Amino acid sequence: MTLLRAQAPTPKPADLQRRYDAIVVGSGAAGGMAAHVLTSHGFDVLMLEAGKQLDIEAELRSMEWPYDHPRRGEMPYSSHALRLNEYTIRELPYAKGMPWKSVHSYVQGWGGSDYSKNIVVDEKEHPYTGTSYAWVRARCLGGKTNIWGRLALRLSDYDFKASSHDGYGDDWPISYADLAPYYDRVDMYLGIAGHPEGLPHLPDSRFQRSTRLNAAEVRLRQSLARSNRVLTPYRAGVTTDGLKHNKYRSRCFGRGACGRRAGGCDIHAAFDSPTGLIYPALDTGRLTLRTGSIAREVTLDPATGRASGVAFMDAQSGRSLEARGRVVVLAASTLESTRLMLLSRSPRHPDGIGNSSGHVGHNFSEHVMGPGVSGFVKDLVGKPRTVDDGRPGGFYVPRFRNLKDRRPDFIRGYGFEGGSGASMFPETQAPGFGAEYKKGIREMAGATIGMGGFGEVLPRYESAVFLDPQAVDKWGIPVLRFSFKFGDNEKKMCADMAQTAREMFEEAGIEVTSARSEIRTEGWSIHELGTARMGADPKTSVLNQFQQSHDVRNLFVVDGSSHVSASCQNPTWTIMALCWRSCDYLADRLRKGEV
Amino acid sequence: MTVSRRDVLKLAASAAAAPLLPRPVAALANAAAGLPAGRFFSAPELALLDELTELIIPADEHSGGARAAAVAGYIDSRLFEYDPELPERRAARERFKAGLAAIDAASREGSGQGFLSASPEERLRVLQALAAAEPSPQTEAERFFKELKEWTADGYYTSRIGIHDEMEYKGNSMLAEFAGTDPASLPPRGEPR
Repeated sequence: MTLLRAQAPTPKPADLQRRYDAIVVGSGAAGGMAAHVLTSHGFDVLMLEAGKQLDIEAELRSMEWPYDHPRRGEMPYSSHALRLNEYTIRELPYAKGMPWKSVHSYVQGWGGSDYSKNIVVDEKEHPYTGTSYAWVRARCLGGKTNIWGRLALRLSDYDFKASSHDGYGDDWPISYADLAPYYDRVDMYLGIAGHPEGLPHLPDSRFQRSTRLNAAEVRLRQSLARSNRVLTPYRAGVTTDGLKHNKYRSRCFGRGACGRRAGGCDIHAAFDSPTGLIYPALDTGRLTLRTGSIAREVTLDPATGRASGVAFMDAQSGRSLEARGRVVVLAASTLESTRLMLLSRSPRHPDGIGNSSGHVGHNFSEHVMGPGVSGFVKDLVGKPRTVDDGRPGGFYVPRFRNLKDRRPDFIRGYGFEGGSGASMFPETQAPGFGAEYKKGIREMAGATIGMGGFGEVLPRYESAVFLDPQAVDKWGIPVLRFSFKFGDNEKKMCADMAQTAREMFEEAGIEVTSARSEIRTEGWSIHELGTARMGADPKTSVLNQFQQSHDVRNLFVVDGSSHVSASCQNPTWTIMALCWRSCDYLADRLRKGEV
Repeated sequence: MTVSRRDVLKLAASAAAAPLLPRPVAALANAAAGLPAGRFFSAPELALLDELTELIIPADEHSGGARAAAVAGYIDSRLFEYDPELPERRAARERFKAGLAAIDAASREGSGQGFLSASPEERLRVLQALAAAEPSPQTEAERFFKELKEWTADGYYTSRIGIHDEMEYKGNSMLAEFAGTDPASLPPRGEPR
């Protein structure tokens, strides 16, 4: 066993006098990928990241035992994590008037919040207004990839051509065949663990060694197979065999740390943008990284009407600065890129840059969560302890609705994420006390199994974010106002999700201990998508199939905002495959001088 | 081969458990009186808290309980660090002080004795009454019991004894191979067993 531990490369200072080939805003999955692909093609890239570069190994400390931490892993007591009910009861901005020193999104209410406290933002500094929304943001090098859930799934033509299938919304301007070679490249460059199933609606990746299923999961898999449904080991964006071309990332050693915290992997077996993409790009000598750089506007060359660079604020000094580039690539996360476009107003672009269609901020979609089921397998109660959490994830049940059949009550589909078995922290919600209570927890720990649904939310023009006319963030920059509520399709889908989850467990002979049907607050999935969508028609879309602005040809938006529909599959792998494809195209244009 | 920490603790736990079952009131009261004041709780409060946590998660033949895992001290140190300027934190502190007093009062009401001076049977009766109200707690003592139980479970199952001895957790270690069943070894999808 060897652990790879290479020091982060030292970035060279940014030269704001020069004009870079590309300015990339954001350093998460999309920004990292843009930097990787463009530097690979030989272009000089300046990456602007609003947050800090953290000493991430010191933050995560993945193997620290709870009893070795003074607060058993909890963040300082002066901080507060928003609770589920606070998202609906409280007025926005949520942190306004709260007495806490810092306020965080709900993910800081999970175990081990001390390890992610510097990764997620303080809501006091980053307010937003409008309708209830659980907006989880990470402002630091790598963004949310530092703590993501690792489920790495492909989309298929059931998603790209969904409108042709059921008549709702729009098809994507690409098909699976366009993206498949880029999914392959992402798989090979970053590593993904999984088991091939040959499903047309959830294409297989180029998998490394799969994680395994434990006894309760095998039972559920066998039972589902009888109704021709699938349970497959968690498809994890984790290198389980190692990557010969990356010295910053070790292979997975099944330490199980990913399950008991908000996430994060201090040996970087789980993909994160810094070690997976940015450090190698820095090593090419063509990437310049500037952290603490808060972008506030895409600047315009008045003579040509093209983007000239990015105006930003230095987080330390508060000074206004500008970086110049031949192209501007926005990758600040779906809603932050959208906000930046809306902020970039000029006489030529009165409603924000690249917004002649009026669609920037609209067609907002994501995944709906809430319904799920928990239970236990009787035969496993009291059995000797096994290692169940020594893997990057449990299982995934791919979509099965509206593939061949047509549900009368809703369109599109949902999948389930789940897991089973003993973990570091047992389920302690049992009645009573004393020896029986203690024994019950002990004997039940290996027998539990649970899963929760992720459903496709339909994009609607009226589901939107706008700039708030008054509210500003800590740096005086206008913030987003949400106008977004789940609709009838999502509600009916969730009713089916709840009922089907229970039926699946019952048919497998799993004793159901709790079944949830309530829908969680909008935003809970942390999968915001669609607010600068791609399309062939510049009147109804913001970007073309290469994530290039219809209006400003040297402006690219390479994050989840470009997605035409949400699908029910987790988006990170698709974000990176699309970005790779677009940056290949962009490199070609740059070479030909056509941007 | 060395004697593992677990074996030592097992011995310690069984030694502690033996006199626990029919323990006379006086002995208990003495044991309680031996505890110093905490950083947040007074000596009598900490003694009561210690006894309550141990009753919720007791030592048994399998492992040590909340007392061995120093759960009361853990709760004490956490509450001590709470900033009383923050309303929610101050309220949690106050609930704890008032809750302990309410349980003591419930004991007095039943037997005329404070909780630590009451017989083991009487103490058990007090807690059983509180536990019976868990689904919908009404009184201060009932609500506090629920909260106390959560804190006790939190403190116990994040302790060395809780994780290693009681739950025999085997993870958080470097594994050469994932545990479990390789799905490739299972019958093909769609085919009944």
